[in-house]
Amino acid sequence: MVVISCALLIWKIVYKPMNKLPYFVRRLLFGTALVLGVTFISFLLMVHFGPDKTYELIGKNPTEQQIAEVRHALGYDRSFLLRYGSYLRELVTLDFGLSDSSGEKVSSMLARSLPISLLLVVPGFVLGNGLGLILGMLAVWYRGRWLDRLVTGASVAGMSVSFLIIIIGLQVLLCTPHGLNLFPVRGWQVDGLASYLFYVTVPTLALVLVTLGYNTRYYRAIIADESEREHIHALKAYGATPYELMLKHVLKNSLVPILTRLMFSVPLVLISGSLLLESYFGIPGIGQVTFDAITSGDQPVLKAVIGLTGVLFALALTVNDFLYKVVDPRVARS
Amino acid sequence: MESVWQRLRSDGYGMLGFYIIAVFALAALLVWSGLLGQSWAVVSGGRWESISSTHWFGTNLLGQDILQRTLFSSATAFEVGLSVTILSTLLGTVLGALAGWFRSSWLDELILWVKGVLDSIPFYLFAAAIAFALQGNRWAMHLAMVITFWTTTARIIRGEVIRLKQREFVEAARAIGLPPRTIIFRHVLPNTSHIVLVQATIVFVAAIKTEVILSFLGLGIQNGVSWGLMLAESSQEVLAGHFGNFAAASIALFLLLVGFNLLADSLQDAMDKRRSVS
Repeated sequence: MVVISCALLIWKIVYKPMNKLPYFVRRLLFGTALVLGVTFISFLLMVHFGPDKTYELIGKNPTEQQIAEVRHALGYDRSFLLRYGSYLRELVTLDFGLSDSSGEKVSSMLARSLPISLLLVVPGFVLGNGLGLILGMLAVWYRGRWLDRLVTGASVAGMSVSFLIIIIGLQVLLCTPHGLNLFPVRGWQVDGLASYLFYVTVPTLALVLVTLGYNTRYYRAIIADESEREHIHALKAYGATPYELMLKHVLKNSLVPILTRLMFSVPLVLISGSLLLESYFGIPGIGQVTFDAITSGDQPVLKAVIGLTGVLFALALTVNDFLYKVVDPRVARS
Repeated sequence: MESVWQRLRSDGYGMLGFYIIAVFALAALLVWSGLLGQSWAVVSGGRWESISSTHWFGTNLLGQDILQRTLFSSATAFEVGLSVTILSTLLGTVLGALAGWFRSSWLDELILWVKGVLDSIPFYLFAAAIAFALQGNRWAMHLAMVITFWTTTARIIRGEVIRLKQREFVEAARAIGLPPRTIIFRHVLPNTSHIVLVQATIVFVAAIKTEVILSFLGLGIQNGVSWGLMLAESSQEVLAGHFGNFAAASIALFLLLVGFNLLADSLQDAMDKRRSVS
């Protein structure tokens, strides 16, 4: 309680003069506060409340001194704030120490697995959003007619299927003798375009199917909003062609919400999407690394992944605010 | 609310969704009262028996009846869905209303900061971290969902409260000197009930879908069975050509989610019309 009331007091004292600062300084401060919050929560959960590793690293019948030595090596004897500080330093220097289960350096594990994950999710990400946008525009153009109803109905159905069902279903249909048996059940031996397509097709299809429903719905709503604006009706009345209208006027003005969505879904798709896809298809990307870390309780790896994605997301949030300001200066005044 | 109900009645898809949910809710109630699905853990047959009159959906690897497990899982789905929905909606509504009413104050910034922090942490990792911190407590999954799911509700309610604060009836309430607490909870929040309701159905869908993934990752349901656990079991079985578990769990899950999505859609439509009339 004391901590909370102190924090509130500081917040009030620091907060009052803050309103007079220029917009971008305020956003920057908010972004810093976000990064601190994200790292603090992940530190609190993973390290402070996390499992005590002393007895995993120590032999049988340890003496008092051995226990103290191990606890010192792990940093357990230092104060909360010092340990939080060293976690922040780890995040800045990208040096997270060694993995508990493999003994490999965490930073080199991440450097090795991140490109694989990018290769895995980028085609699905691009296709899922591109198709969603096209379907959304088609639905708006044929608003209320059968094509719109088909697209809307299909996206409701798509939103109702679990990712796990899509993955298992596609695997049975495309990768096993019970179906077409065209693609591998598991694995990732990529050494060229042919083998890349061989391994990436089924995960990409799964990613497209799981995101398409939500994407289509979101883009349809955005495009529909924009199409209701008066200047669009006016252009329509003047006889603008559908392509001109949709691409040049509607799409261009909807760019901000579209970019926002793209930016925010990158960290989520990269971590959450690859987590399931990679653990299921046995692909050695960042999702597999995270999955193994979750199941084996590998703290250094989890700390690194949570901290880094949190920081990336907080950065995206801040950059997004700036972009909004650049595109629409009125934002800063409110 | 009555006119909303009437509009819903006239929407075929919405009613279809409503009836689907009602059937599953009935199954869940019967499971809770001990009349249905009680022998989900009993080994009553051989391994991977096919469909028969004793095992309508066949049996799983251990010889447990898949129908019993599917039925019991509908109760699990409602347990997860209801607890997460009620708690996170309450939290999101109250915090969103406070942030909106005291807009741009330190309280608003604080709530927005907490929301931003929680939104920045990838959810499955957050759930794993909570599970670690609570050392495998069976409510860790529910807690992780409640802590992260309130943020969307809060954002929407905040926007709505900011909008409502400009209206005459709120101005009148302030003019006669009612305390903020009374205005927020007696006059403003009841006017957001339609948004809360739609958002609650969306949270329910998210909770059930998330349970499936978390159970697959080993972070979900611990004492009991759920569609997620059945799908996790089936991920090995399907490679050997046994589809009972997969079919039963995925059809049940799909139907319930379609029900909620249809209901959410038509609720939204019904509310929208009401708003444009008033």
